[in-house]
Amino acid sequence: MIAAKAHGAPGRVLEIRGLSVDTEHAQVLQGIDFSLEQGRILGIVGESGAGKSLLSKVLGRALPEGFRVSAGSLSFAGQDLLVCPASAHRDLLGKRICFVPQDAQQALNPVLSISQQFNEHFERLGLAPGSWSAMAQDALRSVQLAQPERVLGQYPHQLSGGMCQRVLLAMAFASQPDLIVCDEATTALDPATQLKIVSLLRDLQRDRGTAVLFITHDLDLAAHLCDQLLVLYAGTMVEFGSTEQILSAPGHPYTRALLNARPALTGDWQALQPLCGQMPSMESLPSLEGCRFAPRCGQAGPTCQQPPSLQQQADGRWLRCCGGQWANAVTASPASMDARYALGLLGSAPPFLRVENLGQSDRVGRWPNRRLEPRLQGIDFSIAPGEFIGLVGPSGSGKSSLARILMGLKAPDTGRLWLNGEPLGVDRASWERRRQAVQLTFQNSSTTLNPRRTLSELLTQSLDHQAVLRSERKARAEALAQAVGLPLELFSRLPAQLSGGQRQRLNIGRALCNLPQLLIADEIVSGLDVSVQAQILNLLLALRREHKIALLLISHDLGVVRYLCGRVMVMDQGRIVESGDTAKVFSAPRHPVTRQLLRAARYEVEHA
Amino acid sequence: MQISRYRGTVDGLSRSLIPLARLPVILITVAALVFVLLRVLPLDPAAMLLSPNATHEQSTQMRQALGLDRPIFVQLWLWIRDASRGDLGQSLQFDDSVSSHILHALPVTLQLVGCGLLLGIVLGVASGVLAFHGRNTPLRGALDLLNGLALAIPEYLWGIVLILVFGITLKMLPFYGQIDPRFQVPSRTGLLLFDSVLAGDGAALGSAAAHLLLPATALAMSIAPPLMRVLYSSLDQAFDQEYVHYGRLRGLSERRLLVHHALRNAWLPVVTLMGVQGGLLIGGTLLVESIFGLPGLGNLMIDAISSQDLPMIQGVALVYALAVLISNTCVELALVHLDPRLRSL
Amino acid sequence: MSVAVAFGWRVKWASGYWLMLTLIALFAPVLAPHSPQMQDLAHTLQPVAWLPGGNWHFPLGTDVLGRCQFSRLLFGSRVVVLVAFLAALGSAVIGTTLGLLAGYFKGWIERSIMFVVDVWMAFPAVVLAMLLIVALGPSLGNVVLAIILVDWTRFCRVIRSDTLQLANQPYVLAARIAGASQLSVLCRELLPGVLPTLIVLCSLQMGSAIVAESILAFVGMSVGPAEASWGAMIAQGLGYAFSAPWLVLPPIIATVSAILASIMLGTGLRYAARTTSSRRVSREPER
Repeated sequence: MIAAKAHGAPGRVLEIRGLSVDTEHAQVLQGIDFSLEQGRILGIVGESGAGKSLLSKVLGRALPEGFRVSAGSLSFAGQDLLVCPASAHRDLLGKRICFVPQDAQQALNPVLSISQQFNEHFERLGLAPGSWSAMAQDALRSVQLAQPERVLGQYPHQLSGGMCQRVLLAMAFASQPDLIVCDEATTALDPATQLKIVSLLRDLQRDRGTAVLFITHDLDLAAHLCDQLLVLYAGTMVEFGSTEQILSAPGHPYTRALLNARPALTGDWQALQPLCGQMPSMESLPSLEGCRFAPRCGQAGPTCQQPPSLQQQADGRWLRCCGGQWANAVTASPASMDARYALGLLGSAPPFLRVENLGQSDRVGRWPNRRLEPRLQGIDFSIAPGEFIGLVGPSGSGKSSLARILMGLKAPDTGRLWLNGEPLGVDRASWERRRQAVQLTFQNSSTTLNPRRTLSELLTQSLDHQAVLRSERKARAEALAQAVGLPLELFSRLPAQLSGGQRQRLNIGRALCNLPQLLIADEIVSGLDVSVQAQILNLLLALRREHKIALLLISHDLGVVRYLCGRVMVMDQGRIVESGDTAKVFSAPRHPVTRQLLRAARYEVEHA
Repeated sequence: MQISRYRGTVDGLSRSLIPLARLPVILITVAALVFVLLRVLPLDPAAMLLSPNATHEQSTQMRQALGLDRPIFVQLWLWIRDASRGDLGQSLQFDDSVSSHILHALPVTLQLVGCGLLLGIVLGVASGVLAFHGRNTPLRGALDLLNGLALAIPEYLWGIVLILVFGITLKMLPFYGQIDPRFQVPSRTGLLLFDSVLAGDGAALGSAAAHLLLPATALAMSIAPPLMRVLYSSLDQAFDQEYVHYGRLRGLSERRLLVHHALRNAWLPVVTLMGVQGGLLIGGTLLVESIFGLPGLGNLMIDAISSQDLPMIQGVALVYALAVLISNTCVELALVHLDPRLRSL
Repeated sequence: MSVAVAFGWRVKWASGYWLMLTLIALFAPVLAPHSPQMQDLAHTLQPVAWLPGGNWHFPLGTDVLGRCQFSRLLFGSRVVVLVAFLAALGSAVIGTTLGLLAGYFKGWIERSIMFVVDVWMAFPAVVLAMLLIVALGPSLGNVVLAIILVDWTRFCRVIRSDTLQLANQPYVLAARIAGASQLSVLCRELLPGVLPTLIVLCSLQMGSAIVAESILAFVGMSVGPAEASWGAMIAQGLGYAFSAPWLVLPPIIATVSAILASIMLGTGLRYAARTTSSRRVSREPER
């Protein structure tokens, strides 16, 4: 193990005072003020568009065209990074400041092997060539990669996302830097891997005393990993303090709203209270004077017309708010719901969809290695009208395959399906019946929408082939837009001009066009900001109340599943290993896979 | 590390077998196509060899002698069978074997293609890298302009322009034939440059090289401009990639990023382009040889077409097709070697 | 379905050029001072009007048979315009249809189409075109046909790889779920997606068609000795290149400028397509 570098008295690794970044129209980062001490982890938390990545770009001198630092100072270990010459700055990068980017596989040159990439890195650090191979293996072992020699000979496309991220961490820590900046480093990974990487990061950081700047939109993850938190909203720093302080008693209304918008995994069921509206985009920033959060804030008073200043509170944290610190923000509170009614546990109609002994295998590999790999085995369940069922499981367990078979995109090899009492086959009549009753929304909302069609056309896409009057079609589009909460002004926009939440609403609206009985939602809220996610979840509950739609929700976020679904099914390796009432399964899991999933959701790491 | 490199090679080899296996299939299909196409044409080789007032029996006799009265599939089979043995039939123009003419003409064309390819690649790569390195300077605009102009001029026009400028106006370089008729070089390989080296005749080598310069340049101008464009755009794309951004964040210099990272990835579309341009290059030799008076396959083909010498057309067409197929296969194999992502099955 | 497209200077200049050329082709009989076939044996090899020995009766001089070069140049534009547009259109239609089918349906359809393409492309284009002309006889229609039959493979390959990429996008699948038939998916979802590439290829193809025709004309296999064609003018003028450069220079300049215009059109359209699809923010702006 490489011994930790001996430091002098703990000093400030990073000190940022009054940093502001401008474009020609607006100030996209305003008054950023914080310091990072040696050996501490600071989490920078903000929803998309808040400007957190800009901060890491300033550090790396990689601001996009049109952005420039307009005020403030940034000093790293005593050196002012904003004014030092480019060569001096480049010298620091990779040696004393290391970056860990989001997409690990793309960050590695695809035609160079891992050992070649390490060698290049070591050459830059000025280490003796003879020791490169041993050091590379050491580094890989320190990030818990098995068979380091084998990994060194491989190419990035042969490694999984998690393994590539470990390689990047290894390279970063191998330079023994003073500061590591992780820009959404775990966002692209699945939750189990995410947790492992984060724990690894913490262990390595503690061993070597490196300071870490962890940028993320996931407040829970940041709370689990970081000592201190800094909350960003629309380019302004709204709160900065230690994690326990902020979690136990959040000072700023926005922080409070963020915390309230997360569906809880334990405790009584409570309706989520999301913030209405969304974060102002860069174009609308100049029109906001005073406090940028004021339009969405419940207790905006006349003092909020002036931009509030950063003040230190009694308990040591920094807060930027002028009024109502301790009251609650305005929320779009849904009609008070009885928990059981919301979860659809009332009333029992007979199931309309029945699945019996479903099985499906894929042919993989090329000759002579062709073999049958089973994707699904022995799937049995049924869905009643208006029932919300969650489908969870580790990645690769067959959840998406099941969704596609239910939709009719793939044909099962064994088993039978019954819809409304009649069996479903692979013929055209079955396809039509199925299409009317079952709809599927995909995960990546931007690629499931034809980029050249407008919102109103996409909402009523299933009416393309029916003889429908234009006025009827328009009326239907308006009704759907209202049902999913899309304003009429967006009708002529293209998907690229919509936000993530708006696109997801469009997806839902499109699926609802023919009023299906079942909506299969494949990771419908993953990748959305917390407040937008909460809005969509409440929308689904409202849709169930009004139209009695059943939902099969595939998600890796157990909190979301608990919030929405009355029943849950756990899958592993193509089989349903546990199913039942959500509350019961989550409070007393029986199968080891379920237990594993719950542990990961509670951020408990197993030390294998 | 040794193990995985070996495995990579084995994967790469088995991946390479596929294009190699397809080659004979395509070749035979091409041969059949050529054959059928020519037979369908309203050409009557028999009539060509006879005087205009030949009698009907004489023409029937001639057709029998040429084998034109048998059903077409039999003719095809016979031709393929003979071709695989190297016998491509008898030329109608010269009354001797087609293969012998082809064997004489082939080295001339090979020499031309080789030099043109080399010159074109060097010019294209150099200008592409130069344009990219100076992409924020006026150099790029100037190179772009030249490139656009060069692209717009087909290679036969390049040949003409080069003759007009260097041959006639400036009188700097010779532009007809392969070598000054004063020199006599014993022909061993058929490649004039090699033969002069083997014979130790420096002056002849100089003359042969001088005669080759203009036609090779004309051919090179069909590769260099598109190559420069593709190299520039693939370097541009490579620089956009995440691994270049991350390399900067790791403190690597711009020069290192260009040469060791971007260029290594930028080769791939360039090599693919070479595959596509290969066919065009080989086709370009046709006119270039005719303009510069080089006795290669191109000239052979043009004469054969104008005198409707069917066996010659077939034979040369087959050789052309073989050349294009071989170059395509080489390109595919090179791609598998250069891009590790293509190696895993 | 309206998207604002930004056309740069290249597209404007190139379209202007083609418009002008088309007008010249249409009005050639009006614009040209003489008939292109008329031979005035009393005035052979006259130089350009402003040089000594020339007169404005024959603005660009005459060739060895006394034909007016200017008129031949104007009438030759007809061949160029027709060949460029028709050949590009024809190869586009055949190549795109087969490319879409190959890329969307895959399986044996794709394999057989690509096999045909491979076989076709194993032939150097020039040789194939020459053989076709020999077979069919020299005429404008046959030249266009020969070029179409030779060049469709280029479209097929590119459109197929584009379709493969597009067909993987989930929105195609989503259209099927929404009830579209296979034909409808091809026309409504995939065709608009390949349209930008298609348009760029078409404009580049116009240039290749012109090159192909001029090569064929150079070897005497284009439209026949009676009609005027720029390639034929080059071929005939080459022998007098030193003594009478006005015979060979104008058709060379005209051919090169036509090819240049089509390349510029293609490049300009490619820039325009990129800015509207807006995939990456840091795309280089058109200069």
